[in-house]
Amino acid sequence: MYLKKLHLRQFRNYQDQRVDFIAPKTILVGNNAQGKSNLLEAVELLATLRSHRGSRDRDLVQEADAIAQITATLERQNGISDLSLTLRRNGRRTVALNSESLRRQLDFLGVLNAVQFSSLDLELVRGGPEQRRSWIDTLLIQLEPIYAYILQQYNQVLRQRNAFLKRRQETEDRRQELEELAVWDAQLVTTGVRVIRRRSRAIERLAPIAAAWHASISGSTEVLQVKYAPNVPLEQNHPEDVQQAFLEKLEQRAVAEQHQGTTLVGPHRDEIELTINETPARSYGSQGQQRTLVLALKLAELKLIEEVVGEPPLLLLDDVLAELDPNRQNQLLEAIQDRFQTLITTTHLGSFDSQWLKASQILAVHAGKLLPQT
Amino acid sequence: MQRLPGVGPKTAQRLALHILKRSETEVQTLAQALIDAKQQVGLCSVCFHLSSESVCEICRNTNRDSNTICVVEDSRDVIALEKTREYSGKYHVLGGVISPMDGIGPEQLTIQPLVRRVSQQSIKEVILAISPSIEGETTTLYVGQLLKPFTRVTRIAFGLPVGGELEYADEVTLARALEGRRELD
Ligand SMILES: Nc1ncnc2c1ncn2[C@@H]1O[C@H](COP(=O)(O)OP(=O)(O)O)[C@@H](O)[C@H]1O
Ligand SMILES: [Mg+2]
Ligand SMILES: [Zn+2]
Repeated sequence: MYLKKLHLRQFRNYQDQRVDFIAPKTILVGNNAQGKSNLLEAVELLATLRSHRGSRDRDLVQEADAIAQITATLERQNGISDLSLTLRRNGRRTVALNSESLRRQLDFLGVLNAVQFSSLDLELVRGGPEQRRSWIDTLLIQLEPIYAYILQQYNQVLRQRNAFLKRRQETEDRRQELEELAVWDAQLVTTGVRVIRRRSRAIERLAPIAAAWHASISGSTEVLQVKYAPNVPLEQNHPEDVQQAFLEKLEQRAVAEQHQGTTLVGPHRDEIELTINETPARSYGSQGQQRTLVLALKLAELKLIEEVVGEPPLLLLDDVLAELDPNRQNQLLEAIQDRFQTLITTTHLGSFDSQWLKASQILAVHAGKLLPQT
Repeated sequence: MQRLPGVGPKTAQRLALHILKRSETEVQTLAQALIDAKQQVGLCSVCFHLSSESVCEICRNTNRDSNTICVVEDSRDVIALEKTREYSGKYHVLGGVISPMDGIGPEQLTIQPLVRRVSQQSIKEVILAISPSIEGETTTLYVGQLLKPFTRVTRIAFGLPVGGELEYADEVTLARALEGRRELD
């Protein structure tokens, strides 16, 4: 797929900026705080309706304005699509595809696919399990857009069940509420098992691709394992069995849940283990080695999306290329070639190979404005 | 005006200007009608649908099938279902759905009166027509469990919600959902 045009209006520090992408690689160069990451964030939003910065819509709308709009023209094998996302300081976001507004945001997902890679992604290795859950969830949304709905449902049940447990702590008569608890349990299990099964399936497909990339980048001396460690045991693969295991664990933890007034069992407590040579990656090796790991994960995402969607997704490289040593830079550039349209941000062009600089479109970013650079 | 549901700033302005242009008597009639409605319309003591009498017209209508009860969230749903003309049984309005985050538990709804109704009369079927949101689904399961010992419980067929509640479903969709109802498991 190829992003041909992007138009940002009152989005972050962009007042009204159009971009035509004219080469498979576009480099956005500029000092800090000029708007490079903001532009990539706009593309990420079109792809996933999420921002890895975790921004709220009110932060995305330009200060002093009420509405921001991101529009784009995308070329895919089956034709050209116009995407439009409207963000509001106060109010719900709306989406449109080919000038037709969509009632379900779900139908907007899966039109544009993109893999985002920034220095924040080192948190995948160093950060807590919620980082890795969020990573796999974002990937899943692109692989199977319906997952956005599944996850939203689970989170809603979780919030309601937590509110129920809190309220229950304050009441005397607990017997009367057992029936309601049973229904919330059932809802948690039904929606939770869908999340668990899809996460499991995605990680199963991703793991070998990531391991292969990792072997290739590190010179096959190290073995990367990506392993799903669900909070609810997943020994069997039948949904009914997982449901049973889920219910049993809820029963085991019932007293603790009552005591703490919060849900202690379910995929919101999943972990995704990253190990190198059977050592947790967090405590393994240098920053450089951790970078290699993240790079392998990102390349695996890229390939998996391509495999599932049938077209190469976009790659958004936020400041990371310059951080890689020349060897890893080359590995990455070789892997993407011209097949994956790539948007790259950097503060300096100096660290890049002059040959592919020549083949790239270079745009200077200054205070929310883009200028072609020659 | 803007505080009214479904009224944005533009519509609010249009309505306000319209009212200001009318004669004073007209405006007074409208104001009085609103106050009368508020004072006279209460809830039916049987089904909790809006009613100006203690028992509503639907509950009093002897031509309707009194062995079937359709359970809905809101009076708006009764009105929507009545428009389809596909349903000739009675109703029961819950007054909302279970939502702990909003402080709404079964006690805040008319679930107990419903259980009493069903356990004390000869009801052949209860149709649960509650929106397929998480809260609606939870309410369906909860009410279903309580009613099953007494009668046959079915639910109307809904696909993926489009943020659309019963009220927004068009009449054809609604009629089809009613027809395609299935056993609650
Ligand atoms: N809602 C907003 N309205 C106006 N400016 C914003 C908004 N959000 C962020 N900015 C500005 O965007 C700049 C940061 O842009 P960013 O893309 O992160 O920089 P970089 O070029 O370093 O990647 C900052 O100057 C910040 O003040
Ligand atoms: Mg940046
Ligand atoms: Zn009535």
